[in-house]
Amino acid sequence: MIKVDASLCLGCLSCSTVCPSQNIIRTQTGEMRSIHWKRCKEECDLCVEFCPAKALTLMPFDETVPEPDVSFDLVACKICGSRYATEPMLRRIESVLPANLQKDSEGLEWIRVCPVCRRNIEAERATRQMVLGRSRKSP
Amino acid sequence: MPVYIDISRCIGCRSCEVACQRVHGGSGHINVHFVGDSASVPIFCHHCEEASCTMACFSGALHKEGERTAFDVEKCTGCGLCQLACPFGVVRANKIAHKCDLCEGLAEEPTCVTTCPANALSTDFELASRRARSRAARAAAHGGKR
Repeated sequence: MIKVDASLCLGCLSCSTVCPSQNIIRTQTGEMRSIHWKRCKEECDLCVEFCPAKALTLMPFDETVPEPDVSFDLVACKICGSRYATEPMLRRIESVLPANLQKDSEGLEWIRVCPVCRRNIEAERATRQMVLGRSRKSP
Repeated sequence: MPVYIDISRCIGCRSCEVACQRVHGGSGHINVHFVGDSASVPIFCHHCEEASCTMACFSGALHKEGERTAFDVEKCTGCGLCQLACPFGVVRANKIAHKCDLCEGLAEEPTCVTTCPANALSTDFELASRRARSRAARAAAHGGKR
């Protein structure tokens, strides 16, 4: 059976993805992500091994222990407002990347921007540069 | 050797997308973005020297192999941290990570490069500046007109 340290869980869903018995149930609404670990009798520790936060441990099967649940508010992109990640996941990125990589060339704190907006920004900047380059060439 | 782009040449035909999908079993790693009426810009992995995705990947699935940011599918746990760590939003995670592998083991050259009919994509970093120099040389030979 799985014991969860909710204070460590990132809400990344690795455990749910690797669980061969579908004992880790994920539900996601627009603004909220929840993970529910069913009582599990399998002799398997894939979820423990695959947890990036080491939030899971194995414990002996016990029917009296309630099934753990963790819920996360999803963070809104600061440009488009779409909900794209859990706060602990973003904090984890902020803690592993050196400070100089956390702002781009124009000072944007891109970790708080969703991947869709990041791609759009990249395309718009490349276009701006090309247009600038062309206007420099023309007499 | 990463793929470089000269977007002034891109005609927005999306051949690169189709080629990438063909080689990678239907799931491609390059997307052409259209910026108003001004330009079409293929967006794909830069294979960054200091690759944020490799720093965020705790299992070692994403790692540097020379210039390439390589991906070992066997080690991927599907946590999605790489997707959030990519400044350009070009690493996708859907149960496992998906990103440009430069067609390593699938083709001699990245397929997007060999397919692009406009020669906008290249593995030669110097190509764009060589083209500019030869344009300038031609212009000089024709009395300054390009």
